[in-house]
Amino acid sequence: MTDGPILFVAAAALLLGCLLGPRFPRLWIALTLAGAAAFIAASAHILGGGEPWEWRGGFSVGGEQLHLRLDGLSALFLALLGVVGGAGAVYSRSYWSDAQYPRSAPRGRALWSALVVSMGGVLLASNGLHFLLAWEAFVLAAYFLIILDPDSAGARPAGWLYLAASHAGTLCLFGFFCGIASRTGSWDLGPMRDNAGLAPLFWLGLVGFGLKAGLFPLHVWLPSGHASAPSHVSAILSGVMINMGVYGLVRFTGWLPVPHEAGWVLIFGGAVSALAGMAFAVSQTDLKRLLAYCTVENVGIIGVGLGAALLGSEQGGTSWGGLALAGALLHVWSHGLSKALLFFGAGSVVHATGTRDMSRLGGLWKRMPKTAALFAFGSVAISGLPPLGGFVSEWMIYLGLLGAASSRSPAAWAAIPAAILLGISGALALAAFVKACSAVFLGASRGGTSDHAHESPDLMIGPMAALAALGAVIGLAPAPLWPSIARAAGAWRGPVGPMPWAVLALGLCNLVLAGLALVAAALLGRRVRDGGLKRAPTWSCGYAEPTARMQYTVGSFSGIISGWFSWALRPQGWSQRPRGLFPARAHRFERIPETVLEDAVAPAALGVLQLSTLVRRLQHGRLRFYILYIVAGLAGLGILTAMEARP
Amino acid sequence: MMASVEFIVRIGLWFLLPPLLPGIVNRVKAWVAGRRGPPVLQLYYDLARLWRKGVVLSDLASPGFIAGPAVAWVAVAGAALLLPLGPLGSLLSFRGDVILLVYLLALARFCTAWAAMETGSSFEGMGAAREVSYAVLAEASVITAVLALSVQSGSVSLARMMEPAVGSGGVLLAAGLFTVLLAENCRVPFDDPATHLELTMIHEVMVLDHSGPPLAVILHGASMKLLLYALLLVQAVVPLGGLSFPAAVAVLAGGVLAVTVGVGLVESLLARFAFRRVPLLLTTAFLLCLFALLVAWNGGAA
Repeated sequence: MTDGPILFVAAAALLLGCLLGPRFPRLWIALTLAGAAAFIAASAHILGGGEPWEWRGGFSVGGEQLHLRLDGLSALFLALLGVVGGAGAVYSRSYWSDAQYPRSAPRGRALWSALVVSMGGVLLASNGLHFLLAWEAFVLAAYFLIILDPDSAGARPAGWLYLAASHAGTLCLFGFFCGIASRTGSWDLGPMRDNAGLAPLFWLGLVGFGLKAGLFPLHVWLPSGHASAPSHVSAILSGVMINMGVYGLVRFTGWLPVPHEAGWVLIFGGAVSALAGMAFAVSQTDLKRLLAYCTVENVGIIGVGLGAALLGSEQGGTSWGGLALAGALLHVWSHGLSKALLFFGAGSVVHATGTRDMSRLGGLWKRMPKTAALFAFGSVAISGLPPLGGFVSEWMIYLGLLGAASSRSPAAWAAIPAAILLGISGALALAAFVKACSAVFLGASRGGTSDHAHESPDLMIGPMAALAALGAVIGLAPAPLWPSIARAAGAWRGPVGPMPWAVLALGLCNLVLAGLALVAAALLGRRVRDGGLKRAPTWSCGYAEPTARMQYTVGSFSGIISGWFSWALRPQGWSQRPRGLFPARAHRFERIPETVLEDAVAPAALGVLQLSTLVRRLQHGRLRFYILYIVAGLAGLGILTAMEARP
Repeated sequence: MMASVEFIVRIGLWFLLPPLLPGIVNRVKAWVAGRRGPPVLQLYYDLARLWRKGVVLSDLASPGFIAGPAVAWVAVAGAALLLPLGPLGSLLSFRGDVILLVYLLALARFCTAWAAMETGSSFEGMGAAREVSYAVLAEASVITAVLALSVQSGSVSLARMMEPAVGSGGVLLAAGLFTVLLAENCRVPFDDPATHLELTMIHEVMVLDHSGPPLAVILHGASMKLLLYALLLVQAVVPLGGLSFPAAVAVLAGGVLAVTVGVGLVESLLARFAFRRVPLLLTTAFLLCLFALLVAWNGGAA
């Protein structure tokens, strides 16, 4: 079967799910899984070596002939969409059940199908107009999913912010595609790198796609959007939707010519995004906000890889450029999988305890051992630690950067700072995830929220385990995956060369390491059991009465790092110290504001608002003045025309 | 066949030699202070005794409390096996193995910090927080040092990176890496392994609640990490390529001994820094590595 019918089945199943989902939850699951499986099958066919699929419909939509295309690059993203879309659908069955949310759950199902199918449309569209239509469709579907919970206090403002930011991005994309259409005379998209006049459009695309991808400082909508949405929605937002922005950047830097500065801007923008994203992530107290800022970091890492690939391509197809691109594309997968897993985990925690505030959680591993283990797995993967997937992709990007540095190409001036910043953000990620895991799952429960927690049902654990297994495959067997990655990267600007032997060696090392780690843990565990084991309260240098409130909190854990970045984070705090012989209640509050939003975007928006208020004075309802405006306007036009006509 | 024999010999060396180093450091400290000090082999006795002991486990600890030290030990051992040993070369060398080495050490840090947070003790939280925070700065220095070596040698694999001697940048790199060694191995002036004041410790305070075999694994892993850093430092700045096999081994051993004695001397002559000065010192280490990188860059162009 060719890809055309498979994709048609996928679209039909998802659209049907959109219509029937609200009424028939079981049928919806089946339809969504079928659609997701069809997406994966079609992509696997392309990535496995099939010919890229291209189709021009005999009819037109919106005055343009339908033109769809599935090549290696879009297949890579489409498969991820299928995996997370399917896993999220299964997860939402228990997480956002009809019993608990009788009003919003049916709506959520229809919107989920709409989101998945419209993102599929973005990936397949090969016509500017249809790309924009599909883009707008998924932006709206995601908006309604973010505000799915009518009782969540933060959801509505987060939704507004998301909508505003998304439309600012869409505006740029309108300009971008209109620019292409006006310069080429057609909305049709495809490779057109010889048309040098298109290069300046890159900047519009960067802002438009960068806003969606959440590159710092265009990430303002991302933390609140991800934090306030239901967790299965956060998972697809962070795992797949922001990758639509990444897809746009990769796709159009591949198809269109870019200005010379593009690679430099992307690599530095990405590195700054990685550092800033993680600096904010470390300091968060809200679990989902921490994960959201971590997304900003990972998009930055992908940006670094893409920027290095651009620089490599500018300098005539170097091998390190290809490695960096392969790393960036693989990172889309490893980040997407582990981030979806972590958001599912966070969702299970919220489901069980009713709070996202890490300073009120703790000790959950006893009640939710499976969730804790899977969350830990995801944390190791996303911190880019061997032997899991995140490390392999970051390693490839490092290889690209080190290759640029050691070959002393001009790109080294970008690669060296980027490598150092990546190293720092990697260490920060480690700090952030040790903090998140330990505050939520380890130690003792703070404030009683964890006492009545319960392990999630299998329908929630299952999708998480599936995502974890896929992430482990990337880490343990990168060599078999290389041909697919190379095909995807080859669809960018041409083939990337044979697999470096190092990929095979790394996979081997990871495999041995994973095996040895399991063996060592088992051996030590046995030795401890055999040697005599006693349980006692935590010693902690001899406290007789340790209480849960004495534990290190998230704020204190990240205190040192937040201090270093306080110039950027601008933490706010209020405290009332204990005074006198019999001190009354003392307390301390700390808050890390959304610095970019509150100190840059909000004042700018306020300025615009004030300016508009000034302009509104012109509009006062007095007819005679309106007539004066018209007369003045006509006179002005007349003078202009007269001046034009004179010479 | 040869490969597996070599693998076993290397594992054996990495298993047996490292506990010697803390013994030497302590000997040097005792000698400077005019004490007799513990025997050089003290850590071996301690490890053997701890391995036979039982374990007292906190009520709060999950299985990760035991698995953490085990995985951390495997990670450090893996990093150690990647390191080329002078004339012996490395067991498995590939492009980018240096990044794997750096990240394996990070994995070990993740596991140690995780295990520390298991008990819910605020002391251990304090230690873990310090460990992961200062590692951010140390990581920057390490990556910069890697870049310097890579620019110098035009290669990205450890075996080739360690071959050429670093010229004038060698001194800068040695100073930078030595500072990182002190920080990453929790020695004075960053941390005092001999102190009894929990408030001022980093590494030791993370393992307060560990006992018996897991503590033995942690101590052994720490000494392995010290040897790893010492070997890395020596090979990064001493040219071994032109020497004959015995000479190279002798130079390598002498270098490691010199680094160890250096650690002991620093520990005897310097007081632990206040915590607010630690970032300053680590930033200095980063700058030293950065200057080494610049020297390497210029050295090649000339």
